[in-house]
Amino acid sequence: MSGPLRRTGAAVGYLLALLVGEQRVLLPPVAFLAVLGVLFGGDPGPPPTPWAASALAIYPAAAWVALVVANVEDPVQRAVTVTAAGGRGIVATATVLVALAADLLMVAMAVLLPLVVGRYAYPPATVAMGAVAHLACASAGTAVGLLCARPLVRRVGWSFCLAATVVVVTAVQPWLPPVGAAVRALSSGGAIPVGPALVGLAAAGAAALLSWWVDTRR
Amino acid sequence: MVRLAGVRKRYRGRGEVLAGIDLQIVPGVPVGLVGGNGAGKSTLLRIAAGCASPSAGRVDGRPAVVGYLPQSMPPPARMTVLAYLRHHAAMHGTGAGPAAATAVLDDLDFTGDRAGPLAALSTGNLQKVGLAQALGCAGAGGSQDPPLLVLDEPWTALDAGAAVALERRLAGWVAAGRPLLVADHTGRAGQLPGARTHRLADGVLVEQPAAPRGPEAWATVVLRCPGPAARTLAALPPVACSWDEDGLLGLRVAAAHGDALLAAALAMGCSVVSVGKAG
Repeated sequence: MSGPLRRTGAAVGYLLALLVGEQRVLLPPVAFLAVLGVLFGGDPGPPPTPWAASALAIYPAAAWVALVVANVEDPVQRAVTVTAAGGRGIVATATVLVALAADLLMVAMAVLLPLVVGRYAYPPATVAMGAVAHLACASAGTAVGLLCARPLVRRVGWSFCLAATVVVVTAVQPWLPPVGAAVRALSSGGAIPVGPALVGLAAAGAAALLSWWVDTRR
Repeated sequence: MVRLAGVRKRYRGRGEVLAGIDLQIVPGVPVGLVGGNGAGKSTLLRIAAGCASPSAGRVDGRPAVVGYLPQSMPPPARMTVLAYLRHHAAMHGTGAGPAAATAVLDDLDFTGDRAGPLAALSTGNLQKVGLAQALGCAGAGGSQDPPLLVLDEPWTALDAGAAVALERRLAGWVAAGRPLLVADHTGRAGQLPGARTHRLADGVLVEQPAAPRGPEAWATVVLRCPGPAARTLAALPPVACSWDEDGLLGLRVAAAHGDALLAAALAMGCSVVSVGKAG
């Protein structure tokens, strides 16, 4: 065995190297950081309520990152990568892993920035709640991004319009499991939204699976 | 052995490109693919390499490691040559790093900057990087099946020396008992030892009679012509391949057509610099 795990790791490394060359991937986290700066720069009020706004903001940022990650290669070059890595499943897995790693980075930014600014006390339970809620929204964003990118949507222009529409429509539904539920938990003091986070991660995984499935039919 | 059985491919709006392909790629026997533009050669190669799926039929026995060179790839703009080769070697699962790939670059007389970005390379040097990436999969190994090499018009944009070096490389690849599938319109793949050539037309493969072998079958003609090389080439009888070096136009032509080519070239006002056996 040449080790699908090792080759997935190599594909992750390759995608990261490609993305470092492409400054486009930096835009969403930087925009998200700007939102955090505005939110927590002044007096945001006691936690966890202000996190409701940043959790809502991480959703489109994560969708944007996933779009860039999934569309980072031209289709011909992608064919070379798929062949080198040993299959479309490996590249699809690497894509969702890289997108989720970017999510974790943005979750860390959202949770740590208010702590550093430090106007209020952040007990561990509150921090955990903020982190899990952001993870729920970010992974849901990853799912949306993957569903709107190659190989499912081949034109980059369409990808962007579609993802923006989906994000705007779903973000304003307070009842909708990952994003709506997580934001509501933050704003109205519910329990730690573990369920929505699991739903979000499952959605990201399902989106990767669907991309792979559609790709194998091409 | 890689075996394609009843492979069909249908594209929306283009109809059926492949209409039942049966092909065996036996290790040690190079398989050449010829056919007109749009005949579906590239589609067939992608299916054999495993980066596209057939609409019907199946591909069996594909090894875990496949080296693939597409026709004219747009490279990732900012990545350096060495980083690109290193990442691809890692994805192929070679433990040894990009040594096998950089050896191919040396062999093909790569003249670009290895620490520079791929986007800065000339077409020929980029093709050499693509070849190094594909041939570098040989570094992956051990006890598993020998890697499959799938090349789409590998001689495109190569200068004369590199073209000969590539021929030697591929002959070595096959001699090591590895499977090889090449789409090639220059006639060079058919010259590889033991090569079998198939023509793809109307979605089906027809095996071609073995090409005339040996150096006597081909001639290399070097001309000095007035005017741009492209215009000269358009006016001359078709040649297997051509290269443009320092104002000289090199041609490779089937020996049987050599006289007609020379007559046409002289009639155009070209002067003949040299005529020789193809090396």
